[in-house]
Amino acid sequence: MSEENKSIWQKIYSPMILSLAVRNLKLNKFRTILSMIGIVIGVFAICGMGMISAGFTEEMNSMISDTADTLTISPVGEKVIDGTTTTGFSAKDLRDIESAVKSVTKEYEFIPMYSSTKYVYIGKETAMASVSGMDANDLEKIATLIQGTLPRGSTNVVVGETFAEDNDLRIGSRMIMLNSGGQEVTSRVVGILEDTGMMTLGFSTSSAVVGSIEWYTGLVGDNHGLYDKVIVKAYDPTELTPIDDAIEKKMNGKEDKDSDDTVYILNSYEIMEVFDEIMSMSSIFTTIISGISLLVAAVAITNVMLMSVKERTREVGILRSIGTYRSQILQMFLYEAGLIGLIGAVAGTLLALIAAPVMLLGMIGSVEAMLSPAVLVYVPIGILIGLIVCLISGLYPAWKAANLNPVEAMSTD
Amino acid sequence: MNPIPVVELHDVSKIYPMPAGDVHALNHVDFSIQKGEFVAIMGPSGSGKSTLMNMIGCLDVPTSGEIKINGKSTSEMTDDELTLHRRETIGFIFQKFNLISLLTAYENVEYPLILKYGHKDTTTRTRDLLTMVGLTEGQMQHTPYELSGGQQQRVSIARALANDPTFLLCDEPTGNLDSKMSTQIMEILTDLHAQGRTVVMVTHDPKTAEYAERIVIIKDGEIVNE
Repeated sequence: MSEENKSIWQKIYSPMILSLAVRNLKLNKFRTILSMIGIVIGVFAICGMGMISAGFTEEMNSMISDTADTLTISPVGEKVIDGTTTTGFSAKDLRDIESAVKSVTKEYEFIPMYSSTKYVYIGKETAMASVSGMDANDLEKIATLIQGTLPRGSTNVVVGETFAEDNDLRIGSRMIMLNSGGQEVTSRVVGILEDTGMMTLGFSTSSAVVGSIEWYTGLVGDNHGLYDKVIVKAYDPTELTPIDDAIEKKMNGKEDKDSDDTVYILNSYEIMEVFDEIMSMSSIFTTIISGISLLVAAVAITNVMLMSVKERTREVGILRSIGTYRSQILQMFLYEAGLIGLIGAVAGTLLALIAAPVMLLGMIGSVEAMLSPAVLVYVPIGILIGLIVCLISGLYPAWKAANLNPVEAMSTD
Repeated sequence: MNPIPVVELHDVSKIYPMPAGDVHALNHVDFSIQKGEFVAIMGPSGSGKSTLMNMIGCLDVPTSGEIKINGKSTSEMTDDELTLHRRETIGFIFQKFNLISLLTAYENVEYPLILKYGHKDTTTRTRDLLTMVGLTEGQMQHTPYELSGGQQQRVSIARALANDPTFLLCDEPTGNLDSKMSTQIMEILTDLHAQGRTVVMVTHDPKTAEYAERIVIIKDGEIVNE
């Protein structure tokens, strides 16, 4: 190594200068620890909150993303048929809705269904179920069969995974429901539907009992042929909102979405977007809060470093007089600040790694999300932020020390 | 024709601007120190001897005139060049010893070597220097606070010699020591001079100045007697 290169390298890194910084930190252990606590808390907050909100978003997204491609359209307007007032979609309503969908896209599924809630008697147990009647081929488009076959005929049904587990149902199990006349109707389980999760914005299978239209009308009656619900599934989720608008316009007569006079539309894509927005808002909010705590820590570290410079003015004078470069003095104080930052940030990140799973377990009952990259990326982010904040905090005190006049510095006591 | 003097001052003035008017700490000073000399610079406080010492020590530059240390003019030097010059050319010995309290006696002496070579001393130089000034192996591992004043000044002499400087610059080297210790320290300096070292000493103590072979008296920023 040439003399010139060596001196450049010496200006960047000197073990002796690092050792001086370490010794000074050890000499003032209590002060070092106090200033470190600030950065530990700051990094813990920014890292922990980041992890929790990333983990939460991750978990929520995995729960609801599967169903974020549907519009659920329910009837609002009352109809008087044969002297009775009722609600539901007539064949004409269905045609109107479908034509509105068609005006936006050709890539869609249109699934009209009957639905209501009913008590189900299984052995001695009673359970509440959402019963639906729809075409078996339609069911396949909005739910996944994990066992058995699709329900056809007037006695066969499929049930949701959770409902089956809760009530100890398997293929071949029988259940009893009361029809509109109060008579017992027995249905047989022929299939199990995959669970759609606890947060479902479209068709939920969690307490579902689904049969054919024939089965449903046999059980509940046909309500003058009026359907209770229409699910529209778009293969491109971004088309959901235009479809939503088109149906609104057609059915409710105007684009004002607040007054639902004929239909009410649940747009899962829009809800997802709102949810995402809330999550990103809350993550901005937590970042700001953590940022403030980090700022407080930064001010504390600047203060501690200024004290350190003041206390060691004489030492700086001596070091300068016997041939230590300004840059090396700058380095010495930056090492100190950097070490406080590095150790504090690592500690803060470790604490966050302990606290975040505990919080996630409490909030969503699962720590699986902790292993996702979106969460783990907060480990290097936390350490880097802590380090950078401390180095910036130490910059002014270090610069001040480096620019002390050696003669004046040596004459201070 | 004389060889290049170790220290050479040509018409050196130093003016400190003050609100109450400029202070002329040094007024057109001319003098030089040759290699191998033992020079004492004497003068009462406020005479300008500290200013003169800072100039010779490359800690300060003159307002006008020229100072050459080891043949190099300091007036135009950058801070880094002055720092390097201090490290390579001058061995400082201070009244208050000025050891680095974070380091042991051994590390204090090793420090200039690390600054120069960028790594720990792998030779026996540090140990040899400390042995020469009379420190025991055990004392070498002590921090300055664990050593007496006399021992600290010995360490500081060893540190001053570490980089084999062109000359030693002593600022009241016995100012903080009792007479017995003072004598021992002055004997070390006399020995070093006898071995051919150039020694420049600033003092106001006539007894200490007696050890020097040449005495320069400074008063009101001017050299009055040589």
